[in-house]
Amino acid sequence: MSSLTKIPSGVQYFFDEEVKLRRFVERRAMEIFKGWSYDEIILPIFDYHDLFARGMGEEKAGHTYRFVDRDGALLALRPELTSLVARTVATRFIKRERPVRLCYSGEVFRYDDPTQRAIREFHQLGCEHIGESGIVSDIEILLVVAEVLKRLGLDDFRIALSHVDFFNGVADYLKLNAAERNNLRELIDRRNSLALDEFLGRIAPEIDPARRRDFANLIQIAGKEEALDRATEILKNERSRAAVEHLADIYSTLKSLGLEENFDINLGDAGGLEYYTGLTFKVYVPDWGVEIGSGGRYDNLIANFGNPEPAIGFSFSLDGLVGALTVKQGIENLNGDEPAENIAVGNDLTDAFRDAIEQRKNQKKVNIRVR
Amino acid sequence: MSGNRLIIALSKGRMQDDALELFARAGIVVNESELNSRKLIIDSSDRRHSFVLVKPSDVPTYVEYGVADAGICGRDVLLESRANVHEPLDLKFGHCKIAVAGKREVVGEDYNLLATVRVATKYPRITTDYFHAKGVPIEVVTLSGSVELSPLLGLSDRIVDLVETGRTLKENGLEVIDVITESTARLIVNRASLHLKRAAVSDLISSITAALN
Repeated sequence: MSSLTKIPSGVQYFFDEEVKLRRFVERRAMEIFKGWSYDEIILPIFDYHDLFARGMGEEKAGHTYRFVDRDGALLALRPELTSLVARTVATRFIKRERPVRLCYSGEVFRYDDPTQRAIREFHQLGCEHIGESGIVSDIEILLVVAEVLKRLGLDDFRIALSHVDFFNGVADYLKLNAAERNNLRELIDRRNSLALDEFLGRIAPEIDPARRRDFANLIQIAGKEEALDRATEILKNERSRAAVEHLADIYSTLKSLGLEENFDINLGDAGGLEYYTGLTFKVYVPDWGVEIGSGGRYDNLIANFGNPEPAIGFSFSLDGLVGALTVKQGIENLNGDEPAENIAVGNDLTDAFRDAIEQRKNQKKVNIRVR
Repeated sequence: MSGNRLIIALSKGRMQDDALELFARAGIVVNESELNSRKLIIDSSDRRHSFVLVKPSDVPTYVEYGVADAGICGRDVLLESRANVHEPLDLKFGHCKIAVAGKREVVGEDYNLLATVRVATKYPRITTDYFHAKGVPIEVVTLSGSVELSPLLGLSDRIVDLVETGRTLKENGLEVIDVITESTARLIVNRASLHLKRAAVSDLISSITAALN
């Protein structure tokens, strides 16, 4: 087949209104990041494969486009941007005052099976807040995410809050081995409460069946404060209780700020456990069936590149934001296009182009036409 | 996916009647006239739920992408698709096995680890995972129907397929060699709908749970 007509699977070309919309969304998000004192960092498109493996683990780094440098070292197109930021902060920003706030906008590349995932090139917009632990930076990050969604007109957004220690506490309490841990995580992640109940009955027969069922029901449905109250009643282990308490503190602040409609508690979110260490969250908007953003606290990541430091961050999918906006408002309603001054060029080239230069000095849009 | 109406994807065929019956017991009724019409999207009498009838293997796709909020499909289909969805309920109907089968003469025979076994199936992933775990080198031939025909014509040595009663196998001179896993119908839910339509999804799960007991 001719490479003139065929496009490699998973890559995208954008034109017309869609370009304007993508740039508009990107600019607005970056303005808001800067408004919360996040400085932009521009990162390389590729780096050593080893760097991504250190950051996200071998498994994720396996899904990269790889090639070799002139000296034979293995390089990879960036599959995410957090590892690049983390390495930079851990090595080159050592002397800088903490916290360090950075934001980025850029494409990432995933070498996935095209029959499984239609797109292999994504555009991410995100922030990283490094060098400070605790609830203040957790809430700050959530408010940045919320402001972007509100300012884009996606007011009906829902951010689902979770905490990895909710799961870790339960797994520790049950003294699970690695295989059982994975099993439990899979059951919780799929919200399979019956199978979860059976699993717990097998692994911990000493636990009262009523309490087991309560736990299984607890993870099945997303909720608000009442989910946290129920979790406190059911869970006895310190680690899970501390996680629930942390979520309750965050939630009550969000509520005082009048944001409770936009936030849910989702104790069944057991994703990203190998990476996140505290609060995690996912962002959903109506009529868009998949999350358009996610983030969380990752206090162990920076240590992979140097000294340990607490950190929290998130990223939006630009494709998700643009898609959701298009569904909501229709692409034609999102951009006003400035009309152009038509400048006809006849025999006198100098006159016509002098006019064009004058118009451009006043920042008017011009459209040169041959008479 | 707007408002609080839930869109539910159902597998056409084998499980369709059982699924609609379960919904009826859960108080979500579809009129005969609506069912017999040629409409692709049919509404429940209370208009709070809409159903789309699709090919079984497409159900997880509709739900994963969120064009349907929930769906009913077999565990076999879920395992094969690896769709990223919630799976809150085992609905206990549509029971069957995913099994390796072959001609009578190969039953009980050890796999020759030096040769590549050809396996025909509608489930290439489940098949590959199963044989890889056993260390048996295989070549998968992916078919979309009448898989039993394949060993008879010599297209493959073995098949991996759904077995309900085993009658089709028997009538074609085939026998089950090993059961890979069992399957029943599952309720699946889109990850975003769990949050965006929290009340409706939670009502759906509790009314089906009640209907099951």
